[in-house]
Amino acid sequence: MKRLLKHISPLAPDDSGACSVLYEMGGITVICDAGGCAGNVCGFDEPRWFEKRSALFSAGLRDMDAILGRDDLLVKKLALICEQVDAKFTAIVGTPVPAVIATDLKALERMSEKKTSLPCIALKTDGTRLYDYGEEMAYYRLFEKFAADKLPVKKGKTGVIGATPLNTGYTDSKAIKAALSGSCDAVVCFGMDSGLDEVIKASECEKLLVIAPSGIKAAKLLNERFGTPFEVGYPCVEDIPDINGGRVLVIHQQFYANALRRKLRKQGCEVTAASFFTMLDEYKEPSDIHLADEDDLTELITGGSFDTVIADGRFERLLGGFEGRFIPLPHFAVSGKLL
Amino acid sequence: MTEAFYITAEELAARGYEHLPTELDSGKHMIYSSPATLDFNSPGAKGFGVKRAGLVIPGSVMLLIAPGCCGRNTALLSDLGYDERFFYLLLDDTDIVTGRYVNKIPQACEELLAELDYTPSVIMLCCTCVDALLGTDMERVCRACFDRTGVKAAPAYMYALTREKKLPPMGLIRKSIYSLLEPQKRISNECNILGFFSALEDNNEIYSLLGSAGIKKIHEIGRCKTFEEYNELSRANFSIVLNSEARAAAQDMEQRLGIPFIELTRMYRLDKIQNQYRLLGQAIGAQLDDSEYYDKTKALIEDFKQKHGSLTFAVGESLNADSFELSLALTEYGFKVAEIYGTVGERNFVFVKKLAQLSPQTRIYSNLSPTMMNYVPAPEINAAIGADACYYHRDIAGVEFNGEAQPFGYRGVQILFEQLDKVLDEKGGQRA
Repeated sequence: MKRLLKHISPLAPDDSGACSVLYEMGGITVICDAGGCAGNVCGFDEPRWFEKRSALFSAGLRDMDAILGRDDLLVKKLALICEQVDAKFTAIVGTPVPAVIATDLKALERMSEKKTSLPCIALKTDGTRLYDYGEEMAYYRLFEKFAADKLPVKKGKTGVIGATPLNTGYTDSKAIKAALSGSCDAVVCFGMDSGLDEVIKASECEKLLVIAPSGIKAAKLLNERFGTPFEVGYPCVEDIPDINGGRVLVIHQQFYANALRRKLRKQGCEVTAASFFTMLDEYKEPSDIHLADEDDLTELITGGSFDTVIADGRFERLLGGFEGRFIPLPHFAVSGKLL
Repeated sequence: MTEAFYITAEELAARGYEHLPTELDSGKHMIYSSPATLDFNSPGAKGFGVKRAGLVIPGSVMLLIAPGCCGRNTALLSDLGYDERFFYLLLDDTDIVTGRYVNKIPQACEELLAELDYTPSVIMLCCTCVDALLGTDMERVCRACFDRTGVKAAPAYMYALTREKKLPPMGLIRKSIYSLLEPQKRISNECNILGFFSALEDNNEIYSLLGSAGIKKIHEIGRCKTFEEYNELSRANFSIVLNSEARAAAQDMEQRLGIPFIELTRMYRLDKIQNQYRLLGQAIGAQLDDSEYYDKTKALIEDFKQKHGSLTFAVGESLNADSFELSLALTEYGFKVAEIYGTVGERNFVFVKKLAQLSPQTRIYSNLSPTMMNYVPAPEINAAIGADACYYHRDIAGVEFNGEAQPFGYRGVQILFEQLDKVLDEKGGQRA
């Protein structure tokens, strides 16, 4: 049966992805839920929760709030919190509850802006899609709303889009900046060790580096708006020693998998990339595959005659009778394990 | 930025329960999922939330029927060995609007059974806010699953939306986990202890006291290793309920199985514990001699006071106690409680009133208030009790006191002071 998970637990959902992008932006983020979704985000999908403070809250919806559609109460609570916490903007992140009752998030956005006098972005996530969908939406809405002015370009400044713990397994930007230090004078990882100010100044970047598919849509927007060129890559892939040739399957987010493929090719490997997350056609090779369900991976392994599989340890349970070598490579959006 | 909101016990008592300040009324503000309280706020995050509690029946498996976001943190339970017992039917956006997935649940049960090399005792069907809003008749779904597979199914309602209802999710799950019991001949010298998902700490005096009253076997679900042992719960002569969240389950067992129940409360004031055992004895027709335990515990507290002097405590709510009752107990024992991080309810407001008399300046905070983002530890506190209090006061002696072996009665008091003694010996009673 499709969408029946028998061996792994669910992957990071879209609301987690949205919150991940917003986490360090300096806004007030409200997860429009009863408490469980916020608990999943704060307690599992956001490793920075225990290191860096963020004004991330649950709307604390109760059944009658949902049944009666008390949007005004939610906005009232939001206005109250704006008096208690300094913030530059507010964000409302959708969950299954507003999806079931068909909350008009656009209307909530307008009501909130009117009541709080702060800009608001409402993100129509519903917890049924995967994190990269929520990240893509959050990046796009942030740049669309706040990166409005064209500023003078700073030579050598690179803006990185896609740097979230879910994509990278990092809770800070040190590794990414270190990897880029030889080729750029200044690096800003949007949303990781940087806040809304850098989003507002995005047009200063001489170029953009997109390190996960969730950043492409925002990069295209900045390219159209300011002419900022962008490239795709992943600057700090792990070294996988001791592989010399053979057929290798790499499962990760697409741009990480592609970058690792380039490395492994130099080691004589024939590499297929696969992902349960977004696989953009323009960055796919013919043998690459998007995995929709557990069974897809099992079938791929059965028919793929791979010598080596490099993937998050959680996927080992799906490999059935695979007799080759399995190399664990954590992907936070899968297992919640950091690098 | 606003400082963390608090109100003194005196001010709160004067306002009355009907006039709680907005910051203490979770329905009136956004909820802060403080790192201090994650397992408390989020059903299923850690400890015994609905998901883990649903699997307390030996040999059970769980099918979580939900959008992916609801089951995401289940991976946290992997380390506890639950990997093989969780299955997920993920809902898409059309599902949650139309409810069409309900018809697929029996087939999903059939497919998960095919994956197992044993027949589970029950399939717990865990449903979420989606079903709360759609009004899914889970009893009917459970019957449909049984008809298709021949394996019993029971609902586990993970309805965060109804957390403050009279029968909240943690009450409903307690009712569910005893719902598989079937009537059988009752045995006069056996009883159940209900209320927790794990068992009482082994050395608890209640075992000896009940033994002295002629009780030969005490059943607790947390000690059941097999489904056969679980089934023995329905032969008990009576049940003792130690947590009010199990009241609905006990009432259901009384109706269906004819097992009456007596309700006790976990308290930390010795005279109240003594009184409660006296009443328990009266109810079961025996005189329970608890003087030995009373005297020993009283002496232990005196020794502790002699050794560590007048301590000032912070008391949280992520612990095996009612924050306010425990604070009242500490105050009555001669200690100072400077701060409480707790949820004020109708039931524990009586303790707030008593605290207001004995310790009017005790500051009461709500962990859920967004202003707790700005909490700054008070310097006069030199010992913390509760996982949340320990989080706020990382540099002083503290005990989380939220272990799985449940404290109760005199032994509960002893464990608390033994743990405090140990940590104070290690870290000292002063702020680092």
